[in-house]
Amino acid sequence: MSLIARDIHLRLGRTDILHGVDLTAPVGRVTAIIGPNGSGKTSLLRALAGEIVPVSGRIALNGLPIVGMRPEVLAGHRAVLPQQSAISFPFTAAEIVRIGLTSVAGDQIRQGALIGEALAAVGLPGHAGRLYQELSGGEQQRVQLARALVQVWQPVVDGAPRWLLLDEPVSSLDIAHQIAVMRLAADYARRGGGVVAVMHDLNLTGMFADHVLLMRGGRAMAEGAPAEVLDSALLSDAYGCRLRVGEVPRAGVWLLPHSATL
Amino acid sequence: MNARISLAEPARPACLCMTLLPMAAALAGLLWAAPAPAGSYPEAGRVLSIGGAVTEIVYALGQQDRLVARDTTSSFPPEAEALPDVGYMRALSAEGVLSVAPDLILSEESAGPPETIAVLKEAGIPFETIPDGTGEGGLIAKIEAVAEALGVPEAAEAPVARLQAELDALAALAGKTETRRVMFILTLQGGRVMAAGQDNEADTIIRMAGAVNAVQGIEGYKPLTDEAVTAAAPDVILMMHRGEATADLDATNDELAAVPALATTPAVKNGAVIRMDGLYLLGLGPRTGRAALDLHDAIYGGS
Amino acid sequence: MVALDAPRGRLAGDRRHLGRALAAWLTLLLLAVSVLSLGSGASGVSAAAVLTDWAAGRDLAEIDRVVLFDIRLPRLLSGVLVGAALAVSGAVMQGLFRNPLADPGLLGVSAGASLGAISAIVLGGLLPPSIAALAGWHLVPLAAFAGSWVAMIVLYGIATRQGRTSVATMLLAGIALAAMIAALSGLIIYRANDQQLRDLTFWGLGSLAGASWTKLGAAAPIILAALAVTPFLARGLNGLALGEAAAAHVGLRVQRVKAGAILSAAAATGAAVAISGGIGFVGIVVPHLLRLLAGPDHRWLLVNSGLLGASVLIAADMISRSVVAPAELPIGIVTAMIGGPFFLWVLLSNRRVLDA
Repeated sequence: MSLIARDIHLRLGRTDILHGVDLTAPVGRVTAIIGPNGSGKTSLLRALAGEIVPVSGRIALNGLPIVGMRPEVLAGHRAVLPQQSAISFPFTAAEIVRIGLTSVAGDQIRQGALIGEALAAVGLPGHAGRLYQELSGGEQQRVQLARALVQVWQPVVDGAPRWLLLDEPVSSLDIAHQIAVMRLAADYARRGGGVVAVMHDLNLTGMFADHVLLMRGGRAMAEGAPAEVLDSALLSDAYGCRLRVGEVPRAGVWLLPHSATL
Repeated sequence: MNARISLAEPARPACLCMTLLPMAAALAGLLWAAPAPAGSYPEAGRVLSIGGAVTEIVYALGQQDRLVARDTTSSFPPEAEALPDVGYMRALSAEGVLSVAPDLILSEESAGPPETIAVLKEAGIPFETIPDGTGEGGLIAKIEAVAEALGVPEAAEAPVARLQAELDALAALAGKTETRRVMFILTLQGGRVMAAGQDNEADTIIRMAGAVNAVQGIEGYKPLTDEAVTAAAPDVILMMHRGEATADLDATNDELAAVPALATTPAVKNGAVIRMDGLYLLGLGPRTGRAALDLHDAIYGGS
Repeated sequence: MVALDAPRGRLAGDRRHLGRALAAWLTLLLLAVSVLSLGSGASGVSAAAVLTDWAAGRDLAEIDRVVLFDIRLPRLLSGVLVGAALAVSGAVMQGLFRNPLADPGLLGVSAGASLGAISAIVLGGLLPPSIAALAGWHLVPLAAFAGSWVAMIVLYGIATRQGRTSVATMLLAGIALAAMIAALSGLIIYRANDQQLRDLTFWGLGSLAGASWTKLGAAAPIILAALAVTPFLARGLNGLALGEAAAAHVGLRVQRVKAGAILSAAAATGAAVAISGGIGFVGIVVPHLLRLLAGPDHRWLLVNSGLLGASVLIAADMISRSVVAPAELPIGIVTAMIGGPFFLWVLLSNRRVLDA
């Protein structure tokens, strides 16, 4: 059980975005996709989500090809947190989260409880009645995360894992909430689900990722354990600036000292 | 086009469900029956008159006491304006018409909308359509038709005789002088000349007055290009003045002269601009003979 | 830790109970306005008395029967259908375009309908008499409906590539199409005589004065069918509020929602415009007001828009029939004159929400 992409070629309009990318995201782990701007991270995630169809290559979710999968079935297997979400009407936080339950069966009271739990899980208890448009950017991002969470609330159903696909889930958050949200993702994976997240913050990647895909120019540069991919030479090459990876000995995670120079 | 629309049966509530079917809807449109014979209603004491000319004729026949209401276009004689107004003749409301409780409706051909007319006919109120008449015979037929519908054919004699005399006078005047070319200007918005071509009331009255319409080859009232205005070279310009506020509404001679295309015309050079009341000039009612004579005098400088 | 704060275990921020309560009140309002409308009119016929007589099987006076059953009743039902169609189509379009100012006009429906009506009014006389007689005085509504439908199909065709409809393309192509249609209309208007011009003006202002059982019979099935589809769009439109991609992520068949929204709104509006001519503002004001009262959740918004739209149009019709009785004002004047300032007031008093 995993999320597998093989030789993905992707084109948007007349531009080739991905040139044969492979990824094997294991279940029970947090997989991070990293790389500089324009390297194709988000496009890869959108392809994994079934949102855009690659020109060639195949994507299998828990062993099933996602091309041709009915949207409501696909929605039962994975939830997606997009990068930004502008909302057109004055919905409350609870109403936004409820949209995540579109393809989920269940009675009203149970669903109401679920929405409350999800909001509490992202650190927004008591915000259910607030208008989404009046929340801060970070709060909005967490409401969207709650919306994705309710869709695949149980990480494992009937022995099959479910997946959270997150596009920069912590981009608008302060450091405490960054850690809280990453912990939430890690916990989801620990309970048997799968998580694939596009990450910009390499330190958080080092702290929380179990599996890393490094991309540049629409190609995979490296894939593997953080210890292998978060390498000074690799990262410096990928991002085009000199980076030095250090290690916090006791925690066993890899951190970039902030003295990186261009 | 004196057609009467008859629905299969007066719709009773019980059978409404049937008429709801679209098929029935399409069929109902097919049921155009033969023209109904003109009726005569000497007893009618609550007459609704629709159309300026028809209302004028009712007054000309001396039958105004039988009127209970009129439409918006019926503004002459001024007393008519005291009557309740059931709205513009092309946008009548069925219940509004019924609310004045008429026992006879006299209407020009163009009254509408058709749905309203259909309901009114179904309501069992006599609905007499007076044919539009423009030529000599048409004007007289119009007066006679109204008199017939009101059940007072003899009342038509005096107005018809007067109209006939006026028409005869016009005929006698015809050809006595060199024919002059007249341009009727409906509006002069922003210096753009909206003039009368053929097939409209202005063209009719110009011809009745023994003149020639300077604008040939277009239908109705249309904006003219400056060059067409110059080419038309009218000897006389004819315009309407609308009631009291004449000066505000219509172009003065100076304003006409300020339009380059008009400035070159003989009419403007000679100051030959005639202004007449719109309804009198274009009403095509019982006063039309008089109006045509007046216009003739104005064009040819009296006799 | 679960945020259940209301006494009945209701989640804060869940406003569906408001929508439900509002639906009940709006139903009552619609009934009240309908009774009022049936009972009022220039002729002073008492609906209560006539209905009592009718129920008792007594013979009805000709005038009473015509006023109640052939004038007021078809007019009331037309008002209900047209009002509901305009308001619901407005709400659907706003959901689809994710913009509170969207209306079915963006689908080319209004432009197409007015081109149809203009053609019928001005060029109807050129038809062979046999065809003209067949269509009879339904020529204008038929042409308006056909025009709206053709314009929408063209626009939908332009905006749809490989089974995907681009809402943005539709919006922009709609502007181009509207300009072309306006030019064509202008060309036809140039041919029009004075009387036809006045007919066009009145048509554009809208009126229920032409309501009849025949018209209603033709339009009602279309409007009712279109309205019946809309509840199935509610979840989809809620999802679209997050954007098309996110709507697909939560398991919605986005293309189906878009096609359903476009077809139902175009059909309902086309048929409504055919009955009544152009009536503005109902489609924007009604959904907007309801969103302020009970939130934008389409599950109740669409139903409530139908109820309130019907009530508003019937009320506007009562005003249009009474202020200049026995004549009447075009209803479009009434809706715009009341709707405009009201909408402005709503906007100004809710600036905070709008600017957010």
